[in-house]
Amino acid sequence: MSDLVVQDAGPLTTIQDLGRPGHLRVGIPASGPMDREAFLLANRLVANADTAAGLECTLIGPRVEFTDERLIAITGADMAPTVNGAPVPAWQGLRVHTGDVLKLGPARSGVRAYLAIAGGIQTPPALGSRATYVRGRLGGLEGRALRKADRLPLGPVGAARPHRLHPDRVPVYGGEPELAVVLGPQDDRFTPRGIAALFEAPYEMLPQNDRMGARLKGAFIEHTRGHDIVSDGVALGAIQVIGEGQPIVLLADRQSTGGYTKIGTICSFHIGRIAQVKPGGRLQFRRVTVAEAHAMLRQSLRALDTAIE
Amino acid sequence: MTIWSEPRFLPCGDRAFSVELGDEITRDINARILALEYLLQQKRMPGVGETVPSYRALLVYYDPLVVGYEDLTATLRGLLAEARPEVLPPVRTVELPCCYGGELGFELEPAAAKLGLAPDEMARLHAEADYYVYFVGFTPGLPYMTGMPERLTIPRLTNPRLKTPPGSVSIGGVQCCIYSVESPGGFWVLGRTPVRLYDPTAPDPILLRAGDHVRFRPIDRAEYDAIAVDVDAGRYTPRIAGPVATTS
Repeated sequence: MSDLVVQDAGPLTTIQDLGRPGHLRVGIPASGPMDREAFLLANRLVANADTAAGLECTLIGPRVEFTDERLIAITGADMAPTVNGAPVPAWQGLRVHTGDVLKLGPARSGVRAYLAIAGGIQTPPALGSRATYVRGRLGGLEGRALRKADRLPLGPVGAARPHRLHPDRVPVYGGEPELAVVLGPQDDRFTPRGIAALFEAPYEMLPQNDRMGARLKGAFIEHTRGHDIVSDGVALGAIQVIGEGQPIVLLADRQSTGGYTKIGTICSFHIGRIAQVKPGGRLQFRRVTVAEAHAMLRQSLRALDTAIE
Repeated sequence: MTIWSEPRFLPCGDRAFSVELGDEITRDINARILALEYLLQQKRMPGVGETVPSYRALLVYYDPLVVGYEDLTATLRGLLAEARPEVLPPVRTVELPCCYGGELGFELEPAAAKLGLAPDEMARLHAEADYYVYFVGFTPGLPYMTGMPERLTIPRLTNPRLKTPPGSVSIGGVQCCIYSVESPGGFWVLGRTPVRLYDPTAPDPILLRAGDHVRFRPIDRAEYDAIAVDVDAGRYTPRIAGPVATTS
């Protein structure tokens, strides 16, 4: 049996796969990677199925040891990866051997790095998924973040060759990413000035952000009549605005329902961008229609399918 | 508070929208939401993803590469004509033992004092009612219910607690809820049930479903402790009247 041995876990390293959609109606979020594109690319670089489970590493990466030979790939935030102390490239498949130690350091840019391992992590699925939902103590390893000395079972590997990403497709974090937003469901509860404010100038990421949601700071968003609504369902990427007129974006491990106005929703293909903005970093919202969003979604899926050499 | 004359379809990004039937909390409007969700799920339409019912709205996830926004909203308009409570499967009634007052129901006394009732009387009134689950959510397995006698309507706490133990049976406004995981809370805690509303180790971790009825059976502390032991050992099943299969 082949394991991944955790020598040092980092502050928040969790097992993720594409998540468990279908249970939001009973309050269980889908979870899954915060930056889905980076996660998918990691799997594809080692010829894994998209559904294989890997690691999401937050701000500071883990140190892990391999117990056999297989392919791995690191994507997402730049955590200056090394194998046995020697720097290794991200965004391409690498071969590791028995006893090799991979170390991911503090993120130099971006927030979340992904580690895919050929064969995938094979902890027991919960409700059809291995994704960790820490607040609900569900999935992953005992429903929790990884700790020192954890051993994660790995699946069998076939003969696969490593792939690499087209160099011009490697994302650059730390700029001011633009995020497409469709207005609604409660945009009618905001004044024209409030809606204009959302799109006018960039918002800053505050330190209060996690897998559940991210608080932002910027121009005041004005309501027409208060911020309370009769509670309704909360979609991934919903931009909730409460009393102080500041946005809170609801993410992978969000609450399923809420009683506050939601001015708009960040499109699915741009959720990964907000997941890579560090506290103090900035982002810019751009208003799009549903039809424009669907055209952009098609384009982003095509780009993802042609990103690997 | 209103029921819209026409349903409103409100975009929630590129992969979801909300169907809203009004902005009030009534059994009637909620039953239409649950019936609409049921009919949509029965149809097994390609491209339709998960759905989230709430008081007066249904959040619908979809894959726009498989089904268009206009086509799907047109389908839902059609289904709404048939979305009546009668289409739903028979309701279940779930009986939950509840230990009122004392250490577990630590706000029974102040709540009773606020309403000018004796604590025993307040607990009796609360336990006599038939509760209806509008929807389950916020945290995993948490039921949003009404059904209390009007006499128990109470403003929410002015200073919400940071931690409420799971199983806490609580009231605020006209609503009753049971905390499913440890979480902050602004409702008055009247008692606690030893039954788990959310058990991440169980094959089906969630006990209650939208549309269920809940009855509370008052128990004393000794019985609470005995049931809690059985729950921990996986030996306890709450009494459920009506069909056990769910639509989830």
